[in-house]
Amino acid sequence: MKITCPYCGERDHREFTYRGDATAIRPSIDNTSLDDHQAFVYDRKNTAGTHRELWNHTSGCRTHVVVVRDTVSHEIFSCEPVGPFAKQLARNVAKLKGAGA
Amino acid sequence: MAEIPDRISPLDGLFEPGDFGAVTNSPGVEYSQRLCGALVQVQAWPGTTGKVEAVLKQVLGLPVPKARLAHMKDETILMSTGPGRWLVDDEMEGLEEKLRKALPSDLGALTGLTHARVVISVSGEKAEWVLSSGIAMDFHVNAFPGGGVQLGHHHEIGVTIHRLGANHFELYAFTSLAHGLWHWLTHAGAEVGYRVT
Repeated sequence: MKITCPYCGERDHREFTYRGDATAIRPSIDNTSLDDHQAFVYDRKNTAGTHRELWNHTSGCRTHVVVVRDTVSHEIFSCEPVGPFAKQLARNVAKLKGAGA
Repeated sequence: MAEIPDRISPLDGLFEPGDFGAVTNSPGVEYSQRLCGALVQVQAWPGTTGKVEAVLKQVLGLPVPKARLAHMKDETILMSTGPGRWLVDDEMEGLEEKLRKALPSDLGALTGLTHARVVISVSGEKAEWVLSSGIAMDFHVNAFPGGGVQLGHHHEIGVTIHRLGANHFELYAFTSLAHGLWHWLTHAGAEVGYRVT
């Protein structure tokens, strides 16, 4: 499985660390419901098919990315940068595509 | 600031000069090591990238490289290693203090890595072949041209690779893991013959 890092280009998935379900939304700090927090921490759909997930390029530029991946076939449909440098990285993605990396 | 202790290579005692492996007329690859006079990581905060670039340009007298590239001047190398992040390698000591004076902490963070990395030079006709055998990245010159910088790993040993030319690379390896990387390089180079200088 290869993931195209928005900074480094296409790399083996072993350079990345899986950081969890990107669809899980942390409850508001004002939300005191234990059930809501329990659901955020533990409850996952375990989707068989297309899934949005967070990965970190730990052995590379250490950028967080949202990967849309088929959990059955491992086909990767997209890989987008997230976080404070996302806009800067999005510009780099266009250059990487232009360079064929 | 406390006095900085003498630099000691983690490869001292292992780095034995000579020819090894399948050397016939000339070795396929040559290895050497060096310690940086100063190695500093610079990280801009979100929104301060432009200002940090201006400081680097002023202090180092080098244009700031774009993503995955390095610029060199005399004995200074400025490498782009991530979004808003650079690695500065200088043969002269004192670079960290110079940068700290020029770069206030509200613009970015400086991390001194002088004692945390050793640089292993890999050169020769088979250099690309040797590195490709253990580091999963595209070493073709179209994807990784001379003057390029890539970060990757060999079996969990993180390494920053600066390509100086078609057949010349410098690997910035963690000192604590340099033994493992060196062990692999000797095995990978044995098939084509390697020279340690």
